[in-house]
Amino acid sequence: MIRTYYNGLWICLHFQQLPIEIFTRERTEKPVVVTAKKHVVNLNHSASVLGISIGNSLDTAHILAGNLVSFEKDEEKELATLKHLAQWAYQFTSKVSIKAPNSIQLDVKSSLKLFLGVKNIKSKLQIGLQQMGFSAQIGIHKTPLAALAIAKGGSSSLKNTPIDKLDIEPQIIEELKKIGVYSLTNILDLPQSGLTRRYGVSVIDYLKRLMGEKPDPQIFINEQPDFSSEINFLSEITNLKALLFPMRRLLNELYEFLISRQLSINTFTFKLAHRKNPTKSFHIYLTEPTSNVSTFLLLSELHLEKIRGIQEVDSLKLTARNFFPISSLSGDLFHGTQLQQKDSRITDVSDGEDCNRLFNILNARLGPNVYFQLSQENDHRPEKAWRVIPHDTRPKMPHDFVTINNRPMFLLPKPRKLKLQKNQPFLNGKLLLLHGPERIDYGWWDYNINRDYYVARDNHTNSIYWIFRDRDHQDLQWFLHGIFS
Amino acid sequence: MTSPTDKLEHLISESGLWRASNINYEFRQGIPSGYPLLDSHLTRSGWPTDGVTEFLYDHYGIGELRLLAPALAYLSQRQSRKILMISPPFIPYPPALNACGINLRELFIVQPKTIQDTLWVLEQALSSRSCSAVIAWPQKISDKQVRRLQVISKEGNTWNILFRRTNVEASPAELRIRLYTVNSHSHPYSSVHVKIVKQRGGWESNIFRINFVDNLNQKTPDFSKLLVNYSDHNDTNILQWPMDLPPFPTVTD
Repeated sequence: MIRTYYNGLWICLHFQQLPIEIFTRERTEKPVVVTAKKHVVNLNHSASVLGISIGNSLDTAHILAGNLVSFEKDEEKELATLKHLAQWAYQFTSKVSIKAPNSIQLDVKSSLKLFLGVKNIKSKLQIGLQQMGFSAQIGIHKTPLAALAIAKGGSSSLKNTPIDKLDIEPQIIEELKKIGVYSLTNILDLPQSGLTRRYGVSVIDYLKRLMGEKPDPQIFINEQPDFSSEINFLSEITNLKALLFPMRRLLNELYEFLISRQLSINTFTFKLAHRKNPTKSFHIYLTEPTSNVSTFLLLSELHLEKIRGIQEVDSLKLTARNFFPISSLSGDLFHGTQLQQKDSRITDVSDGEDCNRLFNILNARLGPNVYFQLSQENDHRPEKAWRVIPHDTRPKMPHDFVTINNRPMFLLPKPRKLKLQKNQPFLNGKLLLLHGPERIDYGWWDYNINRDYYVARDNHTNSIYWIFRDRDHQDLQWFLHGIFS
Repeated sequence: MTSPTDKLEHLISESGLWRASNINYEFRQGIPSGYPLLDSHLTRSGWPTDGVTEFLYDHYGIGELRLLAPALAYLSQRQSRKILMISPPFIPYPPALNACGINLRELFIVQPKTIQDTLWVLEQALSSRSCSAVIAWPQKISDKQVRRLQVISKEGNTWNILFRRTNVEASPAELRIRLYTVNSHSHPYSSVHVKIVKQRGGWESNIFRINFVDNLNQKTPDFSKLLVNYSDHNDTNILQWPMDLPPFPTVTD
C-alpha cells in the first residue's frame, strides 16, 4: 500500500538570476554579466539581447557590449542574500527552508486562512520581491521537491516537467533520454524495481519524495535576531539626495521584518560605502522603541541632510539589532478625530506615539539635551528646590508638595544685585516691600545661605518681584531672585 | 460614468448619515480660565483650544503667567497631551507651578539656540498633535510667521500662546489680550487689568480687572525701619524687555 505524505502546501521561490540580482537591485538597462574564471556564468536580459551568452569569455562579452558591467561571482553574498530573502519570507509562514544555491521553500498550509488563499500569498510574494528588486520563478505543489521542479521547469503541471529540471544526476538523465524518457510521467511509468537496479536507490528515493510517497523532512530557518540589508549601485551616487529612494526601500524591508515578528526598535544604522573610500555610518536613535516606518524615514532624511564629506557612494546598508516587543494598542473607532469624553480627556490613542515622534524630530535636528522637564525638590533653599530632568533619564518625580509661602512663577538663574536709591532697593522704580521677611537660611552641607526674602512691588511698573537681602553679605546687599509673572 | 465610491458618497449625503469624522470643532467649549469674569468676556466661555493667543504687555511680573496658570493646570491634569514652553526668559519655578496645580510631568521645556530654531520647534510642536498648549516668548516674529502659526495650530488642534510686547499693533492672531498693571494698593490680593483687543467671533472689550487669589499685595512690615544706611547710587538698573540675563542653565548629564 502506498502511503502519501503530503500534508503541506509548498511554495518554491527559485531565483534563477540571483547571482546578478545581488548586484543589480537598482533596476538597470545596462548589460550586466557575472563571471567566474573570466567566463560569463550569468547575464541579464540586456546582455542577452546584445548576443552575449553563458560560457562566453569576458573579452568576447566586452567586444559585444561596450558599456558592459561585470561582477565576479560572489557565492558568499548569494547565500547571505538568500538567507535575507528567507527571513523576509518569514512573514508569510514560520516554515521556511533554504535550498541552496538559489531557492527558498515555504510551507504555507497553516497560513492559508490568514492570507485568504494561496493565490493571495503568491501575488504578495511576487509584489514584495519585485519591490525589493528580485525576480523569482514560483512553483506551488504538495511536496517541496515538486514545487521546486515546477518553479525550475516553468510548466504548470508536475507531470510534464522535463526530466533535466529534476534533481537527478546529469549522466542518469542522459541515459534516460536515450531510452526515450523525457518528462516526469515517462519515468513514473517505468517499473520501480528496474529503475532501482539500473540507476541505484537515490533516483527512486528522490522520486518517492517528489511524489510524496516518502517523508521529506526540511530544516526550517530560525528567526534571525538581527536585520541587515544592502543595496549596491551600478554607478556611484554623488548626490546624497539620491540615496533617499533606496533608503526608503531598505526601511520598508525593515518595517516588514518588524511587523511580521511584532517587534519594534529604538536604534538603527545606515552604512554608506565606497570601494575606494572608507565606509561611513550613521546611527539613528529614537526616544522610544517604535515600528513606525514614516518616523524612520523622516529621521533618516534629517540625518542625511547633516552628512558632510562624502563624495561617492556605491552601496548602502541598513542594519538593526536590539529589538523590543511591540506594544500593542488597538485603534480607536474614532481614531484621529480626537473626541472628548465627558471629563474632556482627549481619547486619542496615538498620543504617546505622536509625542515620541515630536521629541525624536527635536533630537534629530537640534541635538540631545535640547528639551527637558522640571521637578520640585524637597529643599528649603530656593536654588535647590527645583531640578532639571534630562529627557533620557526618567526618574520618578518626587512626591509633589505644595509650599504655603509665596513663590514666584519665574526664578532668575542667578540672584541679581539690586542698586539702591535713597537707601531703598531700586529696579525700574522704587521697590516697595509688601510681604516678608521670610527667613531662609542654613545649608552648611553643600550650599549655605542666610537670607531674608520679601515680596516687593516696583512703584514704576507695578511688577511684583521676589527679592532678598543677603545676611552673610557685609553690606546686607539686596538681590532680585524671582518674578511673580 | 460614476465610480462606485461616487455613488456611495452620493448615497451618504442623500441619506443624511452622520459621520463622526465631520464633527464641527468650532462649537467646542473653551478651556475654563479660572476667572469667571474673564470667561464671561471670551466667546467660548474660556480660552480657545487652538489658534494663536497673544498676550501683550511691557513688563514681566504683572501677573501674565498667573493669569494663565489655572488653564494650564486644567490642561495638565485633564489631558495626556503635553504642555511645551519654548525658550522661557527665566526658569519656570517648579514650587510655584506645583502650587498652581500644574502637573510637572506633562510640562516640557525646549531651549533652541537660535530664533530660526525656535520658530521651527514652534511649528513642529503645533503640528505634532501631541501638545495641548505651546507657549513661547518670541522676541522677533513677523505677521507672516504668526499667520503660519495660526493655521498650523488650528490644524494641529493645539493652543499656541505668544507673549509679546505692546508695540505690536496688528497681528493675525485669533485672540489678543492686552495686560495693564494695577497700581491700587487697597486690596491684600494682587490684580491685573485685562483688555480683549481682538477675538474671533466676539467683540473688543473694555478694560476689566482680574483679581488673583493670593496675598501678594498684603503689606507686612514698615519698610523704613528695616533700612540700614547706604550710600546713594545714581546709576539705575532698569529691568526691561528684552532683558540681557545669563542664559538658562543647560542640562548636564
